[in-house]
Amino acid sequence: MGLPLTPDASLLTASDSLEVGMEIYVLVKQVPDPEAIIKVKSDLELEIENKYFTSFFDEIAVEAGLKLKEKFGGKVTVLTLDNRRVDALRRGISMGADEAVQIADPAFEGSDQFAVARTLAAYLKDKPFDLILTGRQAMDDDAGIVGPGVAECLGIPHVHSIISLEVDVQGREAKVTREVENGKEILTCPLPALFTCQKGLNSPRIPQVMNVMKAMKAQIKKVDLASLGLGPADVGSQALRVKVQKYLPPPKRPPVKMIKEDFPENVKTLVKLLREEAKVI
Amino acid sequence: MPNEIWVTAEQQGGKVKKIAFELLSAGIDFSKKTGQEVAALLLGSGLEEAAKSLTPFADKIYLLDDPSFTPYTSDAYLMSIASLLKEHQPSLLLGGATSTGKDLFPRLAMHLQTGYVPDCTGLSMGEDQKLTARRPLFGGKVFAEIAFSEARPQMATVRNNTFLVNENPNRSAKIIPVSPRIDPFSVRKKVTGFERAAGAKLDITEADIVVAAGRGIKAPENFKIMEDLADAINASVGTTRATVDEGWRDLKDQIGKSGKNISAKLYMAFGVSGAIHHVLGIGTCKTVVAVDTDPNALIFNYADYGIVGDLFQIVPALTDELKRVLSSE
Repeated sequence: MGLPLTPDASLLTASDSLEVGMEIYVLVKQVPDPEAIIKVKSDLELEIENKYFTSFFDEIAVEAGLKLKEKFGGKVTVLTLDNRRVDALRRGISMGADEAVQIADPAFEGSDQFAVARTLAAYLKDKPFDLILTGRQAMDDDAGIVGPGVAECLGIPHVHSIISLEVDVQGREAKVTREVENGKEILTCPLPALFTCQKGLNSPRIPQVMNVMKAMKAQIKKVDLASLGLGPADVGSQALRVKVQKYLPPPKRPPVKMIKEDFPENVKTLVKLLREEAKVI
Repeated sequence: MPNEIWVTAEQQGGKVKKIAFELLSAGIDFSKKTGQEVAALLLGSGLEEAAKSLTPFADKIYLLDDPSFTPYTSDAYLMSIASLLKEHQPSLLLGGATSTGKDLFPRLAMHLQTGYVPDCTGLSMGEDQKLTARRPLFGGKVFAEIAFSEARPQMATVRNNTFLVNENPNRSAKIIPVSPRIDPFSVRKKVTGFERAAGAKLDITEADIVVAAGRGIKAPENFKIMEDLADAINASVGTTRATVDEGWRDLKDQIGKSGKNISAKLYMAFGVSGAIHHVLGIGTCKTVVAVDTDPNALIFNYADYGIVGDLFQIVPALTDELKRVLSSE
């Protein structure tokens, strides 16, 4: 079942690469646009309008990677696991990423987030990375499992939902701020590490038209399951730890009750309804 | 069959969060079906009061009271919890869908090679100890019912206000002190600072009542009337993406797709148009009130009660009326 955990994170460290800057990988995903219409077609099937965009939090991760590259030099590679869509990779390239890798294989159909994380980690495990970045969650399943899952498989530390990031390349350490319920927590974390990125970390750049055109033609490296040393039993429906049994439409709210009296009676009525009907105050 | 149901009882400064009592209440409900015991997992330091508050809500409290657990780091928590889980093998591990839950649970599930469903808005338990979790996908446009493989524990994080706190839990937990199981060399992250958010209000994801204003509030200083309303009913103040992008309000108060999903008992929106980005974040609020000058504002489609009116007139009047009725109780 699955991959063995990497025993020692220091084996992954590419101290040599520091002389030439930072080796950064960004995990990205193309997801339905927030405006896309999504409906339940049957118990196990969704109808998704063909309107996609690069998950916003992943763009923030790309931007964070590019900023570090501009400061320290190095390389940003965007990586996706998707059998069909490579638009998130092209978006990353158009923003300034150096390389793009698509992991694709028919065996991935129906994989859960754990299989996706194991597969991404299998690709990354022998790469000389200093930092792995991704969004705090993909804006489709909103799960936030893949980032921390990859970090666990690689045996490197992670911090979820960062809103600031500073790297000390010589000290091989990052200083990050994480959003928590009643404030902000500041942490230091040795590299290599994985951080999931939250709005507020930066504003992703809008790619220039020239770069968009260039990205359309950029070469995308394709990686399949077998080349990662994984078999069909490691991914897809055979490896599910969680399984959707049924899709449901969202629960419907009863029609709105408009309070049509004049001011200030409408306010009095609202308070009465909240206390006596809804019983929430 | 595993004989325990576990809940991580998250605490802050020695005070157990409400979500923990909600989840233990759910656990007690489940245990009536499965005949299992309910255990709270309490980590931190200086936890005497916290443990006491949990006693009626569980059969056992695994108490890991040690300075190395304050503040939270996934490294220290994961090692200790994973080791305890391996020892006791509960069928279920629940936690709040909080910043800590979302940091810890996915990694812990991967470590244990077990299943995890995040950010649930419903859970149901079978007599066979099998959990079915319900959660929104695509920001709430669709919901899914999700089952787990045979791996144990079944893990889930749950949104606030998904379960009611049991008024009569009637348990009397035995406190089981557990020494921390941490290899100091593997605690790699260090928390070096903390900036407390201004004001003493609960986070919008944790508050029972959230009041929000959107662009209709016109200027950042006008949020004063929202703060006054919030103070009157012990609410927290949320907002929309537009005001955050304008720099009027802090990002931590943003409701919606790129902000936070809230699950308040009562949500009141003033001068909020109801853009899809925003309403995706309020889908699991129990009661929604909308006030806007535009009778065609989309927000009314997502509300239980609506008033077409000017927030600058309505909000202060509502504050006064609420103060009046609450003080006459």
